[in-house]
Amino acid sequence: MVDVTVKMIPLAMVVGIFLLFIISGLRTGKKQAVEYGFGGGHSGKIGIGAAIASNWMSAASFLGMAGMFYLKGYYAMAFVVGWTGGYVLLLVLMATQIRRFGKYSAPDFVGYRYESATARTLAALISILIAVIYITAQFKGIALLVSWLFGIAYAPSVIIGASLVVGFVVISGTMGVARNQRLSYFVLIIAFILPLMLLTRKLGYFWLLPQFGYGEAIAELHSQFDFSWSEPFAKNTLYSWLALCFTLMFGTAGLPHVLSRFYMAPGMRDARWGVVWGLFFIALIYWSAPAYGVLGRLFEARSGIPFSTDPASADMIVLTAASYGGLPLWVAGLLAAGGMSAAFSTVAALLLTGSASFSYDIYPRLIRKNASEHDKLFAAKGFFLLLSLVSMFFALHSGRMMIAEIAALAFALAGNTIFPAFLLGIWWKRANSTGVIAGMASGLFITFAPLLAGSSSTLGALLPLTSSAFLGAPVVVCIMMVVSLFSAPPSTEITSFLNRTVHNNPEE
Amino acid sequence: MPEPERRDINIFKTRGKKTPGEIKLILLVLAGWLLAIVGIQFFIYLLEINYSELLLEELTFFNLPVHFWLTGQFLPLWFIVLCVVFNFWMDRHADRSLDGSLRFRVRSSKKMEE
Repeated sequence: MVDVTVKMIPLAMVVGIFLLFIISGLRTGKKQAVEYGFGGGHSGKIGIGAAIASNWMSAASFLGMAGMFYLKGYYAMAFVVGWTGGYVLLLVLMATQIRRFGKYSAPDFVGYRYESATARTLAALISILIAVIYITAQFKGIALLVSWLFGIAYAPSVIIGASLVVGFVVISGTMGVARNQRLSYFVLIIAFILPLMLLTRKLGYFWLLPQFGYGEAIAELHSQFDFSWSEPFAKNTLYSWLALCFTLMFGTAGLPHVLSRFYMAPGMRDARWGVVWGLFFIALIYWSAPAYGVLGRLFEARSGIPFSTDPASADMIVLTAASYGGLPLWVAGLLAAGGMSAAFSTVAALLLTGSASFSYDIYPRLIRKNASEHDKLFAAKGFFLLLSLVSMFFALHSGRMMIAEIAALAFALAGNTIFPAFLLGIWWKRANSTGVIAGMASGLFITFAPLLAGSSSTLGALLPLTSSAFLGAPVVVCIMMVVSLFSAPPSTEITSFLNRTVHNNPEE
Repeated sequence: MPEPERRDINIFKTRGKKTPGEIKLILLVLAGWLLAIVGIQFFIYLLEINYSELLLEELTFFNLPVHFWLTGQFLPLWFIVLCVVFNFWMDRHADRSLDGSLRFRVRSSKKMEE
């Protein structure tokens, strides 16, 4: 049931945060060449790390992860490990090499490395599909927040939320607001940690480090309310936990908008150390997220409120924990503003990269061969709106899927397609265009096969919808290798480029 | 005329002077990454099936049940440690390569003067 009152204080805080972003974005725009470093001295590697973390943080991290903890307990730890462990893969296998490669998008990389327009188009289509799924998760999060702020039902909230995002992206695109990602991260971290410190302080726990302090809530739930978290694999098997965890890691190393961060780093060391700082900033949020799920359950148990299995209620546990905990309304407003900014910045980046992929990789190749720059710009604007509408449609029909589960599907798709294409593209010179086309097509099939087969089938059990890359990515790698070995090798120009430039081996 | 040797870029089979150390390090980091994730989950799984749930409830570390701490707190920290070790090694490796190339340049310039 929806509370029909408009929450003025939280609404004012959300508006205030976005005004802050717009004003700082305009200032950055005026400075142009002057780098905007939050806190003055924090430029360089720490700044790149904060930008990586801000780019990464979405509604799935801010709202969805705590919701998963509330509903699924220890199983949700797979999100914490998956979304941090993926950065190890990115760092050791890809960051430096992608930076040396010098291409600016995933389709660009695939097209150049595999010397194939078809592979490039397929990579662009997959990137757009990943963007649609990921935006759907963000729209769901935004809609839940809009519904809470204005006291309206979910369906109109999706439409209002999507319209607000499109308006914001138009403003940010024309005024340069998207440049202040470092400021955005520091707003996010304060919005997430401060309410948690206040909650644990109110409960009398160790509030200075609430990431550890919430352990007392677990003990209290067990001793006072007979609620136990001590059977981690009772409801979900060890296989399903590992499958989700590895899917998220492979997906992290294959998400186009995450990979694109490394093309833009000013140097190799900056690219590498930026990953470490980014991982640290991301871990700060993920160390804290389980606490909201646990505290939400404790407050409900103390108030005698029955445990809800409704996914939408679970996704809002960050806000409801703050209100059950009796914190002032401005604290809930801070959380809502943080969640909104996380979702908005992610949607903005995905809409812009999705429409760029369409206008440069698909429109001039498949739809209008002799398209001018003006035509491409027009196509990008049109596709931007289409992408928003399609994602809005899916958000309206997302059913009982939680925000983090929808995001996990995008990771599964990236892990089954883009990740193997980059991995072998960098580390196996024999990988060729036929192999990558076969591999990415198989990856598409593996990702969506569980939808056709149903979750109760053997295929559905082996390849769960949100966790298919655990088996899928190795299968796609094998397919790519076998098909590549049975077809013509890539040109000597590209193998020489890999040796000399990408792997910095001048002995060639 | 014999064909010049073509160097392979293959994570399991590398040649050339610069890459083997880097490849070894990458494999070590990946081994540390994989063993920690899978090992800890198997350890927790074995605790759950072999002992009563009370053990997992009462075995706490830093205020948290041991499985929460190992997975939710330690593993992300371990990933950061792995990344830091990797970066320090890469920085040292890059500095050494730079030193080598600088020495080469200095020597060659001395020869020129002579």
